[in-house]
Amino acid sequence: MARSLTNLYDVSKCTACRGCLVACKDSNQLPAVIEPFKGNYATHEDTNGNTYTLIRFIEHEDPVDGVRWNFLKWQCMHCFDAECMKVCPKNAYTKTEWGATIHDEDKCIGCQYCTYACPFGIPKYRKRTDTVTKCTLCYERVEEGLKPACVRTCPSGALTFGYRDELLQQAEERVKMLRANGFPRATIYGKLELGGTNKIYVLTDTPDKFGLPVEPKVSANTWVWQDWVQPYAGWLIPIALAASATSFVTNRILDSKKKNHAEGGHE
Amino acid sequence: MSPAFGRGAMTNHMVDLKNTDVALIMGSNMAENHPIGMKWLGEGRRVRGTKIIHVDPRYTRTSVVADVYAPMRSGTDIAFLGGMIKYILDNDLYHKEYVNAYTNAAYLVADEFDFEDGLFSGYNADKRSYDNTTWDYQYDADGTTILKDPTLTNPRCVFELMKKHFSRYDIDSVCKITGTPKNKYLEVLKLFCTTGAPNKVGNIMYAMGITQHTVGSQNVKAFTIVQMLLGNMGRPGGGINALRGENNVQGATDMALLFHIIPGYIDSPMNSKPHKDLLSFVKAVTPGAANVQANNMEEFRAAVAAGIPNSGFKINSSKWVVSLLKSWWGDASKPENDFAYHYLPKREATKNYSHIAMFEAMDKGEIEGLFVMGTNPVVGGPNANKEQTGLSKLKWMVSCDLWLNETAEFWTYAAWERPVENDKVKILSPKDIQTEVFFLPAAAVFEKEGTAAQTGRWVQYRWKGAEPVGDSRSDLWMIDHMARGIMDLYKDSTRPEDEPIKNLTWGYGHGDEPEPILVGHEYSGYTVADNKPISAGFAALKDDGSTACGCWIYCGQMTTKPDGSLDYKPMHRDNVDNSKTGLGLYSNWGWCWPVNRRIIYNRCSIQPDGVTPWPGDDDRVLIRWDAAAGAWVGDDVCDTGKTSPPDKANPFIMRPEGKGCFFAAKGSFKDGPFPEHYEPWESPVRNLMNSQKFNPATKVWEPEKLGKVEEYPFIGTTYRVVEHWQTGALTRNLPWLAELMPNMFVEISEELGKLRGIDNGDKIIMSTTRGDIEAIACVTKRIKPYIVDGKEVHMVGALWQFGFKGYATGDPANRLTPHVGDANTMIPEYKAWLCDIRRA
Amino acid sequence: MKVTRRQFFKVTGASAAAIAAVDLGFDLEPAAAAARKLRIKNIKPVPTVCPYCASGCGLVVYSERDAAGKFVRLLSVEGDPDNPINRGAACAKGAAMFNLREIYDAETGEQIINPKRVKKPLYRAPGSDKWEEKSWEWMMAEIAKRVKDTRDRSFIHKEKIADGSEVIVNRTEKIASLGGSGLDNEEAYLHCKLMRALGVVYLETQARI
Repeated sequence: MARSLTNLYDVSKCTACRGCLVACKDSNQLPAVIEPFKGNYATHEDTNGNTYTLIRFIEHEDPVDGVRWNFLKWQCMHCFDAECMKVCPKNAYTKTEWGATIHDEDKCIGCQYCTYACPFGIPKYRKRTDTVTKCTLCYERVEEGLKPACVRTCPSGALTFGYRDELLQQAEERVKMLRANGFPRATIYGKLELGGTNKIYVLTDTPDKFGLPVEPKVSANTWVWQDWVQPYAGWLIPIALAASATSFVTNRILDSKKKNHAEGGHE
Repeated sequence: MSPAFGRGAMTNHMVDLKNTDVALIMGSNMAENHPIGMKWLGEGRRVRGTKIIHVDPRYTRTSVVADVYAPMRSGTDIAFLGGMIKYILDNDLYHKEYVNAYTNAAYLVADEFDFEDGLFSGYNADKRSYDNTTWDYQYDADGTTILKDPTLTNPRCVFELMKKHFSRYDIDSVCKITGTPKNKYLEVLKLFCTTGAPNKVGNIMYAMGITQHTVGSQNVKAFTIVQMLLGNMGRPGGGINALRGENNVQGATDMALLFHIIPGYIDSPMNSKPHKDLLSFVKAVTPGAANVQANNMEEFRAAVAAGIPNSGFKINSSKWVVSLLKSWWGDASKPENDFAYHYLPKREATKNYSHIAMFEAMDKGEIEGLFVMGTNPVVGGPNANKEQTGLSKLKWMVSCDLWLNETAEFWTYAAWERPVENDKVKILSPKDIQTEVFFLPAAAVFEKEGTAAQTGRWVQYRWKGAEPVGDSRSDLWMIDHMARGIMDLYKDSTRPEDEPIKNLTWGYGHGDEPEPILVGHEYSGYTVADNKPISAGFAALKDDGSTACGCWIYCGQMTTKPDGSLDYKPMHRDNVDNSKTGLGLYSNWGWCWPVNRRIIYNRCSIQPDGVTPWPGDDDRVLIRWDAAAGAWVGDDVCDTGKTSPPDKANPFIMRPEGKGCFFAAKGSFKDGPFPEHYEPWESPVRNLMNSQKFNPATKVWEPEKLGKVEEYPFIGTTYRVVEHWQTGALTRNLPWLAELMPNMFVEISEELGKLRGIDNGDKIIMSTTRGDIEAIACVTKRIKPYIVDGKEVHMVGALWQFGFKGYATGDPANRLTPHVGDANTMIPEYKAWLCDIRRA
Repeated sequence: MKVTRRQFFKVTGASAAAIAAVDLGFDLEPAAAAARKLRIKNIKPVPTVCPYCASGCGLVVYSERDAAGKFVRLLSVEGDPDNPINRGAACAKGAAMFNLREIYDAETGEQIINPKRVKKPLYRAPGSDKWEEKSWEWMMAEIAKRVKDTRDRSFIHKEKIADGSEVIVNRTEKIASLGGSGLDNEEAYLHCKLMRALGVVYLETQARI
């Protein structure tokens, strides 16, 4: 296997300008969906079919300044051992040699099983294409020698892209520096979580202070799928799903056999 | 800045931020409004451990990445900086050799100059203005040489007077005024003042948080004092860097789209005796030339050639003026008719024509026609209700923009919707408004081509990457066609008053679209005889009509290629750093004024002898004196006479003194030679520093609109977010940005939320004596009440970027702001006023 | 993977001679089964400068052109990796530059011209509550007439000054101009020249506010 490539995000440098969010939309041709302001700078609470990455804004009390404003860039973690990939009945998910988990919308039938399986809840159903969709780590850019759109546009240097082993080393040093300079709980995220991911965070505080799951877990359903269903692909799929997932997902798969992409589903 | 250094522009540039040891960001939310600056401060952190200080009334996205954040009540910058000046002087932290050699610290000030209880000598309370004749130096018997005391001990020397002036700004008094916690204030003082060491350099970055006050100019003056004391001017990583807000506000200012100047920062002529003809005018705009005995231009030219004491580089003003006249009026500009000097409009000497004055005049029905060039005063103008009413009194308005912004549609029903009835705010309807509106759809930035000057004075070319949408046109096309249409109506006129328009030189190529390079050629300058660009720069300009140059500071940006065609330097794209020590000068990328000098006042980057670097700072030397060659050499273009030996080479060549000025002598400021703390026009507290409530030299346009603290108990301020730009016309119409910041909101502390029963996300009404707006409340920990003089004071922060057009909408916060401005620039006091807030 | 040098593109004269900029520092073999191809591959980037804050960040415009080289539509606008000020970076505003001209429809995802852009000159008559589309010729002719009419009626050619002497002042106080900080230098210069030649003294830009 080729050396893994990783997107490193250092929260201590991020100014939440959200260039990454917009550059992602430019590169992936995603429209805006405008919703009213509710009292937080983050107008997106979660990823959706038209937004693959976003910035969270979280306020905490702080003994020095009275406030600590934490930012967190949120997108697909590109897990080594990707649940979405395991559960997809159509093998729409693949992994590039260097670690990006990519999703082929042409193969996707919109069953949304992956949206339930993902420990981070990243993939989202998109009504207008009747498919699931998510961040691709801009593999089409990377393979032509360009940085992912979010990394290219980042003005503050919070985002870098490169070999995972090198970036991990940088991240370790950075965490050491932060711990010595007023951030005693600084940590790395994504190094070991779920066996490792191709998205690594340098955090100035514990993961929960950024809304990250402290110990991300794979849902129980996925295990059923992985151990029982995938080996018997084909006619067994709907039956296995009927026992393990929502009937919506099952129906989707049955529908797809009839080539009937009906409108509906959640967004 | 100009009264201290001679120029008002950003002294250093964006990439240079990486060379600083300590960055003081004050009155700027740089991470949001100039995000790329953070890239270079981050680079500084990586390579040299740069520390970042953020001083601001709010904890913003900039504060998040700062090493030290200190809150400061809006409008108290002079107190904050006055305390810093005192701290530097008390603790002997200033850069002594620098102060001695490069500033006017040793100059003796006239005995008549005085200061007492907030007033400088010469104040006239009825006129609210100063007679500044006493704000002057002491001269020798012949009246030309300024007396000095190099020991800096004479009580009348600038240094001692400065010490005395700021002695009242002790730390406790300062914190009482600013509401800054004392430990935070001390942290800022200690950290920033480390840059007084010769091997350390500190940088100050500011924006509208500094200038949009009734004391805006003096806020900047306080910066200049700090930076000269610490020896931070003219050095890489140093300077005072005004972060300009609009992509070409620098260029538009250079080109003099301002009432008080003509291109190249020359005063615009007035209907007064000193401006009555060309000779009088060039004498008036050439420092020190008032008493030159010259009866005609030839004699004046001879006097200039012989040298005029205390003139500085502006001794060349006549060359700039005549070359400008020549470029505008061509053959009609001749020695026998004063080079058509009389064609230039002469403004009323006693009248102000600035933004606020313009709208006051409009409101009185004094203006008939208005051109609005990509600007949006219905959202961005102070006291926007009044400005909108003013527009309704126009006979006609021409508006150019990409979108139908709020100003273009000021006459629509939506424009007059208000959240509450208020008998002081008149509501109009389309049928009441007789203004004819001509809307000209403009091409977007990448649908046309031309140059722009960014905040660090770099001029870069923008190529055309797409076709204009529909039938929209470039502004250049519009201006060209308007001009030709108007000139056509005057072509047969024989009236002398029509000559300025009839004889105007015009014609930029043969196509329908004018060629930007030919316009650039005209203002870069050329020799009249052969139309060849003056590549050598403005030193080659003449005042005998043999050269033409529309804007002298741009002279040298155009040269000739080997094949004889024009070579427009802003198009140059060599991005190799020419600095041998990696300072990031990029001198061959684009071009910058003046004469491609990337860091102005760079004479200060080396010791007075011109050959020795400041101790421990070898890497930050920009120029040095090469005795063998008899010239200044180095990676940057020297900012002093190229062949002036070190003892003659003054660092601040645009000042008559040639030195940086702690004391701003007469003619510089309208409100005093030293900064003094005054409260904003509307303030919830008394002035603890003197008995003047607010700036005694500021004009009050609407005294009846002064809000009382009993009715409007909270400080109101305005600001922007990274997701929107200025009035929002160019961002609220973009879905991707509207999605990120979809509505108008105001920010308040949790404490104020409790006090007024407002929860996060509630609809609120915010009011002042000027009007009311509706907005969504963002209740946040990022804003805290201030303890000022023992009292709790609350602040309401309002985004000012919204209006009723576009994808992202909301009420314009400027319906609340006052028509009062800085005593010198008339920049409105958007940043501190009184308001009330309640749940809608 | 092989290491490649960053390649820069230079612009000479008014036309961009360019190659796609590579900024990773290493090459990957493209995956055979890649579902998506890079839209901006082999497209010549045209450099411009961001129209928002005055930092002066470089941007590059990628557009689709037909066989004859005629502009068809935008593909992307992103930071110019060669510009020393921003080295390819762009904040949310700079990154949204594509929307200045074109957008993706929220319902269909289809690429369309930004509907808020004005495509024709518009005129609003006194007392009217609507716009009327007009030709450029009509607009320019009418504007010239208004300017001449107002200027000539309000023009002050000579006046007595404080010392009693008469001087030529050539000004009108009835015409004002506002704005221009968003204009190019060439535009700002010509606008100033035209206004001053007309005798305009109420001449202001955003630098004042």
